[in-house]
Formats: sequence, C-alpha cells, structure tokens
Amino acid sequence: MKKTNIILLVVIAVAIGVIVTMVGDFSTYETFATAREKEGKEFHVIGKLDTLKAMSYDPAKDANLFSFYVHDKTGESHKVVFYGAKPTDFEKAESIVLTGKMEGSEFHCSKILMKCPSKYKDDQVAVSNKQI
Amino acid sequence: MKFVGEHLLPGQLGHFFAILAFVASMVATVAYYNVVKGKEPLIRDSWKRLARWSFIIQSAAVIGVFTCLYFILYNHYFEYKYAWRNTSRDLPIQYLLSSLWSDQEGSFLLWSIWNSILGIFLIRTSKNWEAPVMTIFSLAQLIMASMLLGIFILGYKVGSNPFMLLREAPENQLAPIFQTADYMQHIHDGNGLNVTLQNYWMVIHPPVLFLGFASMIIPFAFAFAGLWTKDYTGWVKPVQPWGLFAIMMLGTGIMMGAAWAYESLNFGGYWAWDPVENASLVPWLTMVAGVHTLLAYKATGHSLKSTFFFFFISYVLILYSSFLTKSGVLGDTSVHSFTDMGMSAQLLISMLVFTVPAIALLIVRRKEIPSVKKEENSYSREFWLFVGSLILLIAAIQITFTTSIPVWNKLLSLTGLKSAFNMNDIAPPSDSIFHYNKIQIWIAIVLGVLTAIVQFMRYKDTPRGEITKKLLVPTIVTILLTALVAWKGTITYDKYGAGFLTAIYLMLFASIYAIVGNFFYIFSGLKGKLKNAGASVAHIGFGMVLLGVLISSAKMEVISLDRMKMLGDGIFTKESKQNPRENIMLPKDVPVEMGDYHVTYTGDSVAQGDPKTYYVVHYEKKDKQTGKALERFTLYPDAFVNKKENALSSNPASRHYLTKDIFTYVSAAPNRDEAAQADTTPYVTHEMKQGDSVFFSKGFIVLKGLNTKPESRNYIPQNGDLAVGAELEVYTQTDDHFKLQPIYFIRDSSYQYSVEDTLAPLGLNVRFSKIMPAENKIELKVKEAAGFNDYIVMKALIFPYINVLWLGIIITVIGTAMSIYQKVRRR
Repeated sequence: MKKTNIILLVVIAVAIGVIVTMVGDFSTYETFATAREKEGKEFHVIGKLDTLKAMSYDPAKDANLFSFYVHDKTGESHKVVFYGAKPTDFEKAESIVLTGKMEGSEFHCSKILMKCPSKYKDDQVAVSNKQI
Repeated sequence: MKFVGEHLLPGQLGHFFAILAFVASMVATVAYYNVVKGKEPLIRDSWKRLARWSFIIQSAAVIGVFTCLYFILYNHYFEYKYAWRNTSRDLPIQYLLSSLWSDQEGSFLLWSIWNSILGIFLIRTSKNWEAPVMTIFSLAQLIMASMLLGIFILGYKVGSNPFMLLREAPENQLAPIFQTADYMQHIHDGNGLNVTLQNYWMVIHPPVLFLGFASMIIPFAFAFAGLWTKDYTGWVKPVQPWGLFAIMMLGTGIMMGAAWAYESLNFGGYWAWDPVENASLVPWLTMVAGVHTLLAYKATGHSLKSTFFFFFISYVLILYSSFLTKSGVLGDTSVHSFTDMGMSAQLLISMLVFTVPAIALLIVRRKEIPSVKKEENSYSREFWLFVGSLILLIAAIQITFTTSIPVWNKLLSLTGLKSAFNMNDIAPPSDSIFHYNKIQIWIAIVLGVLTAIVQFMRYKDTPRGEITKKLLVPTIVTILLTALVAWKGTITYDKYGAGFLTAIYLMLFASIYAIVGNFFYIFSGLKGKLKNAGASVAHIGFGMVLLGVLISSAKMEVISLDRMKMLGDGIFTKESKQNPRENIMLPKDVPVEMGDYHVTYTGDSVAQGDPKTYYVVHYEKKDKQTGKALERFTLYPDAFVNKKENALSSNPASRHYLTKDIFTYVSAAPNRDEAAQADTTPYVTHEMKQGDSVFFSKGFIVLKGLNTKPESRNYIPQNGDLAVGAELEVYTQTDDHFKLQPIYFIRDSSYQYSVEDTLAPLGLNVRFSKIMPAENKIELKVKEAAGFNDYIVMKALIFPYINVLWLGIIITVIGTAMSIYQKVRRR
C-alpha cells in the first residue's frame, strides 16, 4: 500500500472521528414541554414573545436579570429568565431562538437570538402625514 | 395613473445597463467558448475580437449600473425601494457606499465589478490562456448579471432588480397610499442604514472581501482551463501569483470584518464562529492548502491532482458561502445573514453550474493528469506540504459540517428521512464557540508545528541529521520562550477543564515555534536574503495570528463583574454559576470598583446634529498602598437612543494600549421621559403676594412681579387673550440663580389655561393656577420631581495582546505580497 493512501485513510478516519464527536455536541429544537421532560439539558426553543405578560428588567435591582414570557410553537407560554442585560430592539423581534434549559416552570437561557422582520432592516413602509 | 414627483430616468437607465450586462456577458461566454473550440485561426480571431469587446461592454455596463444606483442613493430618490430601504436623509455621506452594498443586489454588484476588473486584467496578461479562462469569467459574469435582472421567466423570478420602485414592490402594490398620484408627497425619508453598519470598516471591508471572493475564481478558471484544453501542466505557472493574491485579499477581507466585529463589539469579540464568518473562512483554508500543494507540484511533480481539487473546491465553497448567506437558510443560526429573497434556487443553480462540470471533468480525466509513480519520501518537503494541506482540509470539513446544520435539516426533510425516522430538526451546539475551539485548537497546534519545521526540509529527500541539527536551536529557543510566557503570563483558562488548558499550552508552544522557526529559517535557510523570504515572513505572521488569537481569547477578561450581587446570591449556588453577571450598574457620580480601576459615570451629553448620545465614564487607577492616582482617562461610549421604544444601539469606546485594549459598552440606560411621566409626586399649592418667597428642598423661589405681556416657548399670544406671567426668581443653596415664568391666561373669554414652567436641573415644576384679585394674591402650584436616579448599565472588557493578532495579520499580508512580487518578477 502506498504511503499516500495510508495517510488518506488516516485522514478519513480522523475526519469521521471528528464528525462523530461533533454530532454529540449538536442540540435539538424543542418545545417547553419536551424540554421539561429532559430537565437540566440544554436545548434550543423557538418561540414568540408573549406580549400580554410584562417583561421585566430593573437594572437598579439587578443589572443581569431580564425576564419575559414566550409562547413556543405549541402555544405554551412560560417565563424565561436571561442572565444579562435586555437586548436591543427586543420588542421588535418576530421570533426568538432561546438556548438554555428548563428549571422547574422557568426556562433559563444563556443565549437569545432574535429574528427581526428583515435582518438589518425594517420592512414596513413608514408613512407620515406631516409635511416638511 | 400618472405619478407625480418620481425620477424615473436613472432607474430606467440602470435597468437597461443591467440587461446590457446580461446580454453582453452571454455573448462573451459564447464567443470565448468558440475561440477555445474553433479550429480555423482566422475564425478564432474574429470570435476573440467579439468576445473581448463584449466583455469590455459588459464591464462598462456593470459600472453603469453601479453609477445609476449610487446616483439614486445620493439624491435621496425614495421612490426607489433600494434608496428607501437602505438610506435616509440624515445618513452621513461617507456611509452611502456602505448602504449601497448593505443589501443583496449591491453586494452582487460589487462582486461583479471586481470580476470585470480582474477579467480585463487577465485579457491583457494571460496570453494563450485567455480564451478558456475568460470563458469561465464570462460565465460567472452572466450569472452575476442574472442576479440583478429582476424579470420573470416562465413565472419564475430571475434576479432582483435594485431599481424597483417602492410602489412596484409586491408587498406595497395594494397599499392605499400608492393608489394616489402624489404619493411622493408623503414619503419624506427612508428607513436608514442599520446603525451597526454605520462604521468606517463597513465602507472598506466589503470591497476588500469581495475582491477576495472575485479573485478566487482565477485559480479555478486556470485549473478548469487546464483540464478542458488538456494542457494539464501549463496553467500552473501563471496561476501561482493569483493563488497567493486570492489568499491575501480574502484573508484581509475576512480579518477586516473581524476588526469591525471587534470594534462594534456587538458580537462579543473579533470572531464568534458565526456561520457567515465560517463560510468565508473555509474557502480561504482550502485555497491555502491548494497553494501549498501547488508548490509541491512545481518542485517535484507530486500533488497535481490535489491542487486541481483544492482550487476547484475553493471556488465552489465561495459560491456555497454566498448561497448560505443570501438564501436565508441561516436565519435561525446566524446573527448576520440576509433573509430569503426568493432566489435560493437561482443561487443553487449558479453553484452547480461551476461545481458539476469541474468535478466531473476532474474525475473523467484523472488518469490523464500527470503524476509521479515514485512515492514521496517521508523526509521530503513535498510529503509534509501534502499532509499539511490535508490537515487544512479536515479543518474545513469540520467547520463546514457544523455551519451547514440548517442545510442538513433541509436535506433531511426533502429526502423524507426526517419523517421516516421521526427526527427533530438538528440545532447548532449550545456552546458553539467551544464546539469549534476544542477541535480547531488541535488543528492549529499541528499546523503551527508544521509551519515551523517543514521549511527546513528539502524537496525529494533531506539528509538525516540535517533537520535535527538545524532545528535544535529554534526548538530550544521556543521552549524557553514558551516557558517564559507561561510563567509570566499566568494563563489559567480552566473554564473547560485541564484537558483544554493543556491544549492551550501546546498551542502556545506551536505558535511560538512557527514564529521562531521561520525567523531562524530566514538566516539559516535563506542566508538572510530577505528578497526570497516572502513565505517565511508570511509564516511568521501566521504564527503571530495564532499566538494573538490564543492569548487574547484565553486571557480576555470581563472587568465589569457585579460582585455585590454575586455575594448576595451566594457564590456557590447553582444560580451563581449560570449567571456570569457581566453587566454592572453605575449610578451617576458614584465610583465603582472594576478590576484595577475605579469607574464613575458622570452623565450624558448630546450634540446638535449628532444623533448619538454620549455617556461620560471616568476611569481612575489608584496605587493600592498610597491611594495616589496612577492613571486617569475618560471614555465616551455612545448609543443611538430610540426614545419611543427606549432601545439602545450601543457603540463601545475603548482605550488602546500597546499590550491591551479596554472596552466600555453601555448595555442599558433609563428612559427619562418615562421616568418623568411615571412621577406621581403631588403639587403643593402656595398663595403668594409680590415679594413673597417659598422654600423647596434645594432653595427658595421669590415672586418678583407679574407680567401682563408674557411670552414663552410654550405660549404664543393670540388676539383676545388675557394673559399674566408670574416672574419668579429661584435661588439655590449653591448660589445658583434661575428665572422662571409660568403663565396663566384666559382665551375666548371663557377657557382658562395654565402654562407650566420647569427647571430641569432641579426637577422643579411650577404652575400658575389662579389669580385672586380681591386679595391681590396669586396661586402657584409647585412640584419637586422625585429625585431621578440617573444611571447606566455597562459592560467593560479587557482584551490583552490583541495587537499581536493585528500585527500578525499585517505581517502575513506583507509576506504574501513579497512572494507575489517575487513570483511575478521571475516570470
């Protein structure tokens, strides 16, 4: 067998090994209900901000505590706790991808990814009646 | 309907140019193809003339499209959707260019311009390779031009026209406002450019990055031309400087993006393994691999097939990255990708148009590609160049595999596997940065060591003992330096355990080894001839990049830790581990200890004509023993404040040192207006005569007299008004002196009004509520706003030795440029 072939085989083996270990890292998209079943493990939950319930961020009390309510895909609404400052334009987000885990009835998330109506832009026509 | 106030000419002209570019590049493609396939020299010559002219015409047309679009943006013609979406009247002129390429059409346009320029350059320089290479170029331009067409073919939308009018946009066609002829009367301003893109890096980063993208097609085109015309080896020589050029430009472009991310800090540093970043890094890795296998081929005849493969795959990966960022497929996983414009299929086709023929041809003709029968010697340079390239390939595979998670999801559901196995969508790893780091760090270690050693090997075979002899000194020096850095630098990054810390130390060694090894090679291998040292210089730079990345990430430190709250929670509770507490509240004028500094927020300021609010933050470093101030400076982090939603869009301010950068970043600030409205302190009523005074917490108010012809900002007299102003003087404890004039008036002889006057610095509101002529008194209502607590929530970070990274990049670029110069001169 040629050395090049041996090396190629080794490389392929390494690549497969790397990919297999990587797949173990991959997470899944869950709902609150399925995340609760596996409490303590980290998941991604896609949802919408529940605008009926108030969000709270009071830096005077704690600058690293932001809580709000989110509907997941099934419509279930839960309190979400984020340890950090309230992200900019949070209210504008069309949907939210949360990374974190269920703790009791609360979802504790370490990362929030917001999907805005159009990334970098706002796509509604802004019309004013004021004359310049 | 005839619409009023529109400027249609620039748009029509622009669209004409877009179509012209499409047609001309089609002609160029066909004509160049015929030059390659033609037999008769005379016919070939006439095809060639046609081809050249059409390519030049398409280049001019592309420039025409650009000019028209810029003209529209410059003149604020908001009837065009592009101008309306991406600009506004208050946008500073230097950012017009960034808004031009902030949207998809603009980025295609930029790419297309670079393709044209590179194409014209190649027409002039590539001699007998012109025809096949330019066939590929013209085809690329044909596809680029199709992206800007915006016409419907068989009910399928081809391209997106940047000159679309706002009223023609599908989402707006039914809107009532566009049913009126004078709708332009109501559209005064555009949407504006996203504030994070209003940064000088965003003016320069996209052009450089797209020049990198565009130049990646040159190695592809040459390699393809070689396979196509069955001249399997002739293309190697002209392509070498272009391969280096592509690495240099793409690398610079990527790192300029990193510099932008670093400075705007919205992504937490210069590199976040975001899919969009990864997608452009991967082709760079494979192109670097290709350039190295090309070297091996030129010296020994080995590795030609892998060079073909790497050059092909690099451009394919560029197209793949363009597909990922522009098709909207990354929506759930990336913070900065575009949304879908309904062009996914077109993007996919454009990728396959290049991929399928290239790979197919490579497979079909693989036997005809010359190769050396004899095996590489394990003590030869070419062998290790090949191994290094494979390592780079593994890096590329790993990054691509995870970055493509959304694509896997699409594929799984398209093929029906997802429903067959009842699978959920796969999500990216929850700790994605560590996911990449823990694999890439090993690759970086191997690459660093290879970079240090391989130069010392000879092609074909190296005498045993020579390597050991030559490497002895650099290795000892490296071990000493590593020990020194490890001892002085105290790297104790134990967040991910001892195993990862070991890897960090190994990488420290590997990156220093790369620097030292190549430094020594300039003297021992090249006898100090700097002229030929391009590669060594570039490798030194690369080693510094590795070192800078390692140290700045491992020793990055958040100093704005909220320690008070940490104690409050208890240090060892589950919660304290989850909550990194990286934000801290700074009440106004109260110094807070942060790392080595005492930090005080002293207020904010706004300037006329500048939409940003600046927050004033003083830093002071004191000597621990004597309490003497060692260092004082002030940072002004700023933010665009959206009053309505109280949304902040912050920009950090930083203090740069040679060995570290200190960043300060405002993550939240109170909403003044809301606070004022929410204030429910009652007014206190006072009856006063002239000369009377009233006390309040910070001083007293004196009624000086009454003014029967009062005027103020908030009151404009009308005929028939009966108005009286109370002339008040306010004296404070600090001997400040202010004037106030609340007004009371009767309009239309029946309605009573009271115009309040306020003194913002003291939080004083005074109303003139009643006149009592009988007693010769007036009634004042006075309110002191509840002490408004001004504060900011901020985050402060220290990035140590980040300059090693930036310097490393500059040195890499210089080294690569030296190599290019050397290769071009030798030709």
